[in-house]
Amino acid sequence: MKWIKRGLLFDPTKYTLANYCHEFAQAPYALVFDDFIRIYFSTRQKDTNIGKFKSYISFVDFDKNFSEVLNISSKTVIELGELGSFDEHGIFPINMLRHNNKIYAYTCGWSRRISVSVETSTGLAISEDNGVSFTKIGSGPILTSSLNEPVLVGDSFVKYYDSVFHMWYIFGKKWFKAQQDESPARVYKIAHAISYDGLNWKKDEGKQIIEDKLNRDECQALPTVIKINNRYHMYFCFREATDFRKNKERGYRLGYAWSDDLIRWNRDDANAGIEFSELGWDSQMMCYPNLFECNGKIYLLYNGNEFGRFGFGLAELSEV
Amino acid sequence: MFTWQKEGRIFNPAEIKDRPWLKEFAQAPSSLIFDDFVRVYFSCRPPADENGKYISYSAYVDLNKKNLFEILRVSNTPILELGDLGTFDEFGTYPVSVIKYENEILAYYGGWTRCESVPFNVAIGYGISLDGGETFEKVGDGPILSYSIDEPFIISGPKIRRFNNQWYLFYIAGKKWILDEGNPEPVYRIRMAISEDRINWRKTNKDLIETKVDINEAQASPDVFFYKGKYHMFFCYRHGTNYRSSKNGYRIGYAYSDDLLNWVRDDSKAGIDISDKGWDSEMISYPHVFEIDDSIYMLYLGNKVGKNGFGLAKLLSYQP
Repeated sequence: MKWIKRGLLFDPTKYTLANYCHEFAQAPYALVFDDFIRIYFSTRQKDTNIGKFKSYISFVDFDKNFSEVLNISSKTVIELGELGSFDEHGIFPINMLRHNNKIYAYTCGWSRRISVSVETSTGLAISEDNGVSFTKIGSGPILTSSLNEPVLVGDSFVKYYDSVFHMWYIFGKKWFKAQQDESPARVYKIAHAISYDGLNWKKDEGKQIIEDKLNRDECQALPTVIKINNRYHMYFCFREATDFRKNKERGYRLGYAWSDDLIRWNRDDANAGIEFSELGWDSQMMCYPNLFECNGKIYLLYNGNEFGRFGFGLAELSEV
Repeated sequence: MFTWQKEGRIFNPAEIKDRPWLKEFAQAPSSLIFDDFVRVYFSCRPPADENGKYISYSAYVDLNKKNLFEILRVSNTPILELGDLGTFDEFGTYPVSVIKYENEILAYYGGWTRCESVPFNVAIGYGISLDGGETFEKVGDGPILSYSIDEPFIISGPKIRRFNNQWYLFYIAGKKWILDEGNPEPVYRIRMAISEDRINWRKTNKDLIETKVDINEAQASPDVFFYKGKYHMFFCYRHGTNYRSSKNGYRIGYAYSDDLLNWVRDDSKAGIDISDKGWDSEMISYPHVFEIDDSIYMLYLGNKVGKNGFGLAKLLSYQP
């Protein structure tokens, strides 16, 4: 794969966002309309009482040449959950799917824990107003922890191929403390589930589908899949389990795998075709990729340094 | 109408001196009948930590089948280990329900984790005993029954049953958290799931028991047995707020059914209430009914939801 970088596309600090959010435009997800491209992302509201953040979904509309911002969401796109719910403290990331004239949003809901920082599950919300706002189908999740996926189910990415819904998602294998005085670190892997209605899912319980490259504790996140000719291509991000926030050598970068049958995936990072820039917004980290097609071209959205604090950028596929 | 004769308190955890993990509480009794003795599983706690927070374990006491007031043994260790860092049962295994099936003894239990905005969350775990019911090995690090669209949190209070070659799990599911003088308190209702293989459960997604005292009534301990051509359920219920008082605290309710899914609540037939004075004079809860040699007994908790142990009642008569 070969990509031409088009640079930083959206910097959230230059705009006024809904929900008192400021900084961070994480995990961009593009939904193509007739006249524009809507890019959803997760931004953050500071929870002033305790100095933590809550993630909210917003969107920005671009023209199809990405030359102009046409619109930014001015209202809450999806409400966070009520007291005690799985998505009380944030939704990040989100994934859209058009189905039966509606837009399905698969959400990764966050709620805070005591012994570890967070737990996540996947929820479902539906839009009937062309993606401006979404209503949850219930207050609980559609996919959550289970016998062999004990924690941190999330990052769901859904595609509809040959009458079957396919979901790639992540599940946590464990939390651990590398040092007694450190906050707990987590390990998560990419897995696959299928569904015939988009609602009831059958997981391939506890099965990691992308092999590790770094070591057993490699963290893999945010799978995105696209079909080109007859091959499926997946991008994702991966990092070391610890010391990954500021250490470039251990932080997120993009990985790549391909499959011809949606069952066996061949990891081939060497052919990802995209790397850190020498300088600038994506020189220290690359994460949270999203692949999409528009007007016959294939694009990649992704976050750069500091997990997308200063926005997301765009690349265009030049060669397969 | 059931008519019960109270026999008195049968087990008081304060009398157990040499087990630091079994210091307070003996909650949610659940029986397993052996040839010579009745094993009663229950949940207990070491003293609270410096923040007033408890963890809970489960244990058993063996009672002489010919004289249930004679204690033969108390388990030397908890029957289940607490979960690893960040997992659903890191802070408690309570309550537990045990059943013999062919050559195995199976346990379903509530696993407790601690949350930030509300004090806890619960999901149901599964273990198998390889030593005759003294201890149980977990089948996985995650839960076997967890949150879903209409059951957003607090999946707890399992009671495993087998009727007509099918597995039934009666349990409770949280509806919402409400604030009682600023403190979050959970509202939960009785639900049921069905399985062919004990692992994969199909939720019926229905509140089995209508509310009686309060729109925020909480119901627990759905204890189902078949007797004289009908299914009977004893359970307990409380008001939504101020339920640590005697007035709003737990009482025992009753319902009957022909098909396990549709239940008629008729508390006037329960035939058991609080005593005028003594260990069960303020509240009664967590009923469990079992049969020995054609006699029917009920174990139940008294004041402070089992802080001072559980007692026994014997069925004198039943008129449909």
